[in-house]
Amino acid sequence: MSDNFVLLTGTSNPSLACEIGKLLKTQICEPISLFSNGEIRVRIPHNMRRRHVYIIQPTSTPVNDTIMELLLMIDAAKRGSASEVIAVIPYFGYARQDRKEIARVPISASLVASTIEHAGADRILTVDIHSEQQEGFVHCPWDNVYGSYSLIPVLKEKKLANLIVASPDKGGMKRATGYAKLLGAKGLALVYKERDIAMNNASEALGMMGDVKDKNILLVDDMIDTGATLINAAQYLKNNGAKSIRAAVTHGLFSGSSLESINNSIIEEVFVTDTVMQRPEVLKNKKITVVPIAPLLAEAIKRTETGESISNDLIL
Amino acid sequence: MKIFSGTANPLLAGHIASELGTTVSPLEIHVFPDGEKRIRILDAVLDENVCIVQPASPPVDQNYMELFLLVDAAKRSGAKSVTVICPYLGYERQDHIFRSGEAVSLAVIRTMLEAVGVDRLLIFDPHSIKIREIFRIPVVHLSALPLFAQEIRNHSWSISDTVLVTPDMGGIRRIKLLSNALNQMPYCVIKKNRDLETGEVTAEKIEGPIRKRAIIVDDMISSGKTIVTATNLLVKRGAKEVFVFATHPIFSQDAPKVLQNSVVQKIFVTNTVAVPKEKQFPKLTVLSVAEILAGELQK
Repeated sequence: MSDNFVLLTGTSNPSLACEIGKLLKTQICEPISLFSNGEIRVRIPHNMRRRHVYIIQPTSTPVNDTIMELLLMIDAAKRGSASEVIAVIPYFGYARQDRKEIARVPISASLVASTIEHAGADRILTVDIHSEQQEGFVHCPWDNVYGSYSLIPVLKEKKLANLIVASPDKGGMKRATGYAKLLGAKGLALVYKERDIAMNNASEALGMMGDVKDKNILLVDDMIDTGATLINAAQYLKNNGAKSIRAAVTHGLFSGSSLESINNSIIEEVFVTDTVMQRPEVLKNKKITVVPIAPLLAEAIKRTETGESISNDLIL
Repeated sequence: MKIFSGTANPLLAGHIASELGTTVSPLEIHVFPDGEKRIRILDAVLDENVCIVQPASPPVDQNYMELFLLVDAAKRSGAKSVTVICPYLGYERQDHIFRSGEAVSLAVIRTMLEAVGVDRLLIFDPHSIKIREIFRIPVVHLSALPLFAQEIRNHSWSISDTVLVTPDMGGIRRIKLLSNALNQMPYCVIKKNRDLETGEVTAEKIEGPIRKRAIIVDDMISSGKTIVTATNLLVKRGAKEVFVFATHPIFSQDAPKVLQNSVVQKIFVTNTVAVPKEKQFPKLTVLSVAEILAGELQK
């Protein structure tokens, strides 16, 4: 199988690419270097003619640079006569700017998706895309798989009794319902949130639904950025009588002073995956458990090659 | 027409606007803690002709992404047309496959600019004159050569003791145009070699006459190595004073220091790319392209 495809990685998460390579028993090619003026240079040494080329590149911080790397790698693969170029984007930068919240703003998520398609990607593979409607931004096939595939087994090992799964906002209820079912939880809870656009990223918890008194809570979300959303929700749940609070999140961005905020918060444990390359201080943090996402992506790539269904087994 | 500026060169945008008797329209660029930018145009642009000023200088990927988002915002807000003034078109040197397995980065940039909806593109002294041909949208190719010719005339340097120099064969067209504009001032060409693996530049041969005063003309100054190598060779072959005219002051690495410490007497560049305070140095003079750009927008 490994003769038919080539795996490439940009600079955003080479260790994830290496783990995927190990699982698929194939080498990883790192084609990126920099010119002295800051321009990126791509050169792929492998023969790609009539092969499928998988480009593994979460578009995480520095997001604008990692997007450009991705576009240039897609171009190089196309011009190297790859028969199919698959953009594997475990974390999709700009995904949150997916609508016009106010007048005269771009729809950045749509713009990024369409640039990826215009550069020549034949297929996109993401993990927990912020909103699934984004698959409609492009014409090419877009497979979105879920971090729960990796997180659920680790959460099950915790054997949390009296469990309530909570979502820190309205949009996350579907995800919370899924986790609750897979973990055999007692019920669901929802914390309402209003985001003040004028204040940029600041968010505030306003109200909640569900019974959390004396319950063990698992907050689930697609990403943790500054941590404000999760921490505010956790505090709100605690104030309403929750016994313990944990969080399971697919993408751990940990921007700004988020680690300090988490350390000082009432959240006991945070489970994240390594869709985004985790810094040493995240890996060392006692509250944070980083679960590898490589098995999910390796399996998704394998199934893309063999033509097996992805939705049957990989979408939990 | 409404003029907007990204963060790459707001001064140039301001100069263009004042040449046109107007001001730069407001927008908001917020950077989230994770590095994503959020752009918002604050003026109504419905049915307006919009002009966005943003050279794709370093940090090149940041500046391009900001430009794409600005164009997207203008288009989605109903702008009638979007003209992009990108006086320095980053990635323009990567215009073909040098070694197999490479990207044609310039083609990626072209695809993106067209895909986001740019209607017209204004560029300055591109590295290759064939850039216009790879675009499907109209590309206006402007040049700083008239500015350079005027500056050289101002010095009243005589044709008998001055020679124009191109530091590589690629600049031959440029040097001929300037020579024509300066009453057939003589010119010479330096033969240079670039090692594709190491990026190391060597210069060995000069074709053409050498005079007391040599004026090196190039499209851009990046690390400054090409200029210094060329200057050293010219001095070795008998030139007494060396001046430099280059359109785009990219000034990567420690270029300002390298140039200030070189035997070059004076370096003239333009404001296609912003030169921040910490990169300015005594030998440097910046000429403005604002008038040329404003003139083009008025056509």
